[in-house]
Amino acid sequence: MAKNQGLGHVGVSRRGFLGLAGGVAGAAAVSPLLAACSSGAATGSGPLKFWDMPWGGTAYSPAAKRLTEAYQPATGLPTAQYQQIQWANFTQTFSAAVASNTGPAVSTGGGFQAFQFASEGAIAYADHLIDTFKKDGTYDDFLPGTIEAMKTEKGYAAVPWAIDIRVWWYRKSVMDQVGVEPPTTWPELLSTGKKLAAQGYYGFAAGAGAGQPIGGQQMLMMMVNNGGGIFNAGGELDLLNDRNIEAMEFVRELVSNKIIDPRAVGYTIDNVNSQWKNKKFVMGIDTPGLDSILGDTSGDLLVMKPLAGPHGDKACLTFINNIMMYSNTPSQEGSEAFLTYYVKNMKTYWQQNLVPGLPTLKSIVALPEFQKQKNKVDVIQDWQPIGKSFAAQATELTPALAKIDSGQAISSFAQTMFAGRTDAKAALRTFQDALSALIK
Amino acid sequence: MTISPAGTEHVVAGLHRPVRRRPRLTSVRVTMLLLVTPSAFLLLLITAYPLGYAAFQSVHDGTLITGGSYVGLSNYGNTLTSAAFWDAAKFTVVFTVVGVFGSWLVGLGLALLLRSKFPGRGLFKVLLLLPWVVPVVVSATSMNYLVATSSSPMPKLFHALGLGSPLFLADPTWAQVTVCVYKVWVSFPFMMLMVSAALSSIDETVYEAARVDGASSWQQFTGISLPMIARSTYISWILMTIFCVNDFPTIYLLTGGGPESSTTPLVVLAYRTVFQDFQVGPGVAIAFVMTLILVVVSTLLYRQIRKATYQ
Repeated sequence: MAKNQGLGHVGVSRRGFLGLAGGVAGAAAVSPLLAACSSGAATGSGPLKFWDMPWGGTAYSPAAKRLTEAYQPATGLPTAQYQQIQWANFTQTFSAAVASNTGPAVSTGGGFQAFQFASEGAIAYADHLIDTFKKDGTYDDFLPGTIEAMKTEKGYAAVPWAIDIRVWWYRKSVMDQVGVEPPTTWPELLSTGKKLAAQGYYGFAAGAGAGQPIGGQQMLMMMVNNGGGIFNAGGELDLLNDRNIEAMEFVRELVSNKIIDPRAVGYTIDNVNSQWKNKKFVMGIDTPGLDSILGDTSGDLLVMKPLAGPHGDKACLTFINNIMMYSNTPSQEGSEAFLTYYVKNMKTYWQQNLVPGLPTLKSIVALPEFQKQKNKVDVIQDWQPIGKSFAAQATELTPALAKIDSGQAISSFAQTMFAGRTDAKAALRTFQDALSALIK
Repeated sequence: MTISPAGTEHVVAGLHRPVRRRPRLTSVRVTMLLLVTPSAFLLLLITAYPLGYAAFQSVHDGTLITGGSYVGLSNYGNTLTSAAFWDAAKFTVVFTVVGVFGSWLVGLGLALLLRSKFPGRGLFKVLLLLPWVVPVVVSATSMNYLVATSSSPMPKLFHALGLGSPLFLADPTWAQVTVCVYKVWVSFPFMMLMVSAALSSIDETVYEAARVDGASSWQQFTGISLPMIARSTYISWILMTIFCVNDFPTIYLLTGGGPESSTTPLVVLAYRTVFQDFQVGPGVAIAFVMTLILVVVSTLLYRQIRKATYQ
């Protein structure tokens, strides 16, 4: 009788089992409270957690870890502990950690992450730190517009550490072979693109497939280049303005003239990079580190001068990558001390050419190691001064930008434009409707 | 007095009134309760608690960090009236039907072929299992390599055969075809295994008797093989339906749900709504509706299994 006894044999009734389950459920319900209590206690002691994204190739993270671990805090302040976070699902990683009070004290992250978390009360504003920077001269070392971009109504949401710009690139050898010069205006871009298309090349490198954000950014850059943008100066959605419509009609013209690859709608990051490597893409908007991402050391990939739109406007899209401090920290003083150390020592990334992004400090731009990198110097000189943010034509960055930057609406819009089947006004109206629903 | 099968309920003759007898708490029962407690606690912690919290989120307008305020069933209402939801539902149906029956037909065909003995049969079996065994990230990357750019093998092949130059991932219709074909490609080995196992359980003498009675190959297939593997077939359909409806990586890696949301199934829509649009309540509501549909479909198929068992 002892073997193969079922539930009935041991006398555990359904009611009894449910009673037990209820008790366990009660314990489960209490567990988050316990977790909250324990994490709350963790804010007072232990090392300071610094979470960082993989901003460069394989050599970047070991260097960032060394830099973090070399931090020697003043007496009484916590040391820092490095943790790399992968880009895949990083939003979930940060959100879950912040929600459970197990997140970092200081971190890098998505371009608009600081603004998003600030609106949820999870960010420690950097005003005190910025004041310190003003006193010790560090503030004046930042390139114009970089610190100001971090300012919100309640204070500075973060501290800038790198600049990501969308700039025009071209492959010189193919341009020479076809016998064309880099364009300086949109009409020249169209005529040059036609000549390249006639030879089987594409004059507007594009991609809007799985996990590829560049397509939406390219469309926004075309709008901004023409004096438009997603928002008006008052910060209201304004996609159906004349400049945007004109810019998107121009994109349609590029599509109809096969200057944009018809397969670009489905291109992933790897597909776009392989088209650049295979020299099928000859001109296009991309990140300032395109040459190093492609491993191109030939000097054949060069940064263009900014293009003038039909009304003479010149502008590009700029993202300020930043370091943010969280309200859940072992020591706010410790967070600020570590961030100060980090900003003052991060030049090592550019000295070793570890990151494709551009520095935010003038002193790093002036380094001989940086000055050797002609394309990056050109970007700083020609493009950084005309940079506009994702919020253009408004100036202040908001939490809503995170939804727009990562959301479905902008990628669908780019796919619609690259497909070339929908007129510009209708595509913009659909985009505006989608954004209205998203950020209501 | 009648004793119920469980042995805990007694019906008094004439009164038909159930009388519950409280089980005695013997040391054996206490031990069993203690033994089941850790498992029950873990089960609740990893299943019931997230499910409960998700249900909470679906009726609130919270974010990924905060709970938000109660909004009733408006997230469900908005979901069920949104065009994006119904477009995704339609594609989920197409993707699932093609995925289930496409992979089953290919798997059945190959399983039948592999019944006959020929040199290298074992090797073929291993090779045919590869699409199922290989990680989806690898196979999706391979598929992308095959179809994405103009210099990829498939566009070149189509061009060489005079079939034009299809935009496999860039045209909405072609993208749907591509992801469905890919799904069949990675799923047929599972179906092949299920069908092979079921076919091997059929006694060869049944076929011999049918042949003696003059049954043709087709008659043997429709009259013996298909009915005899019916139960296994329904089980494989249920499993593949669940695999297809919940298949996130295939779509996300291959098309990301595009172009223009043409290959967005419900599971990807739920993910994108929560983690890209940061609309947590509506995204979780989509996931719950999806789960409900899946439960209904699975229940219907499960009833078919029971019928097949009784037949």
